[in-house]
Amino acid sequence: MEFEKNVKIRREKFGTVIFQTLCEKVFVTNQTGSAILQMIEEEKDLDNIVAELAQNFESDFEIVAKDVTEFIMELKENQIIRGVAE
Amino acid sequence: MIENELRYSPQNKPLAGYDFTSYNAPLFIAWQLNSACNLDCLHCCEEAGEPLPNELTKEEIDTFCQEIVQLQIPYVAISGGEPLLHPDFFAICEFFRSHGISLKAETNGHLIDRQVAKQMAKLGFRSIQISVDGATAQTFEKMRGHGNLQKTLQACQYLTEAGVNTEIVFVPTKFNIHETSRLIDMAYQMGIYGFYTGKIMQVGRAAQNWEILCPSPQDYQKFFVTLEEKAALYDGQMKIYYYPYDVIEELKYRLESPAASLLIIPNGKAKLIGPLPFVCGDLRQHSLAEIWSRYQKAWRHPEVVTFTNNVITNNDLLKEANHWRELSLA
Repeated sequence: MEFEKNVKIRREKFGTVIFQTLCEKVFVTNQTGSAILQMIEEEKDLDNIVAELAQNFESDFEIVAKDVTEFIMELKENQIIRGVAE
Repeated sequence: MIENELRYSPQNKPLAGYDFTSYNAPLFIAWQLNSACNLDCLHCCEEAGEPLPNELTKEEIDTFCQEIVQLQIPYVAISGGEPLLHPDFFAICEFFRSHGISLKAETNGHLIDRQVAKQMAKLGFRSIQISVDGATAQTFEKMRGHGNLQKTLQACQYLTEAGVNTEIVFVPTKFNIHETSRLIDMAYQMGIYGFYTGKIMQVGRAAQNWEILCPSPQDYQKFFVTLEEKAALYDGQMKIYYYPYDVIEELKYRLESPAASLLIIPNGKAKLIGPLPFVCGDLRQHSLAEIWSRYQKAWRHPEVVTFTNNVITNNDLLKEANHWRELSLA
């Protein structure tokens, strides 16, 4: 997974702001969303992201996997990331 | 136009961050680099033509560019006047692109030849936006004094051939609105990425020429039907963006929800928004971070709130847009 060419992200007090400058649309995430975006930047794959979050938040792996997959698909649908394995 | 969309966290909890005051810095800078222009358009919001007597110097421009990078502002749009007339246009663009900033330039295209198009392609602009206000020389040249439709279309062709993401901006008026459909088809044939339009803004020279420019409600009705049809026809091949609101509706919305952006005019002053006369900062006196803070205060300033509400009921006040008023912001 990687960010689309015209996508810019910036850390904020509340989390992260994502600017899809080609569509001129702005999205915001909370700190959990920021952590996922950070891992995408670090080129981690979906399995690694889920494993790391489940461990950090001491949450059920399957619930985290469902939430993260939905979030990633939303990023893809909004042309924020590409290269997401179906 | 920037849209703010609220997205939810994986836990579906509502988020802070959609309000402009929650951002550390602006998300977007609209920079009118110069006031000089080689055309004399009937509808120019900035009333461009001659340079302002006190435009930013090269040193001041350099400082401003550095501040944009330091504040991690992700997106800049450079316009004018005609920005390609500015001697430092390409140096500024190179600086922004070398720092990974998304960059758009808005131009009339008259100075874009094959070589300039190649230079733009190398820089990897988010887009170059060309104003094309008509599908025939007769309407285009009536609207854009000293303009030449053939040169403008040639510029579009050079840009698309060079691989530049090229967009057309079309302002509808009483005498060109009937050419909308034809121009969209021409844009598609030229390989244009996106076609931008919306109601003409009653600001600057457009406000002075309102009687001869403003289309009728019936014309607008047909116009938006055409846009819907063309958007469906070219779906997935060429973007057709249209903003259905006029400047008054925009001001009503912005009073409630100001954009996380700054408008910098050629003399370094920061305007609150194009259609209002208020200035909330000056690059010669304030850092960009200070101007961002002042901008946030300015939208809640009683003078701004009262004037904006008055504009909403009395459109004639839009003629004041370029008679700048400095706000006292403690």
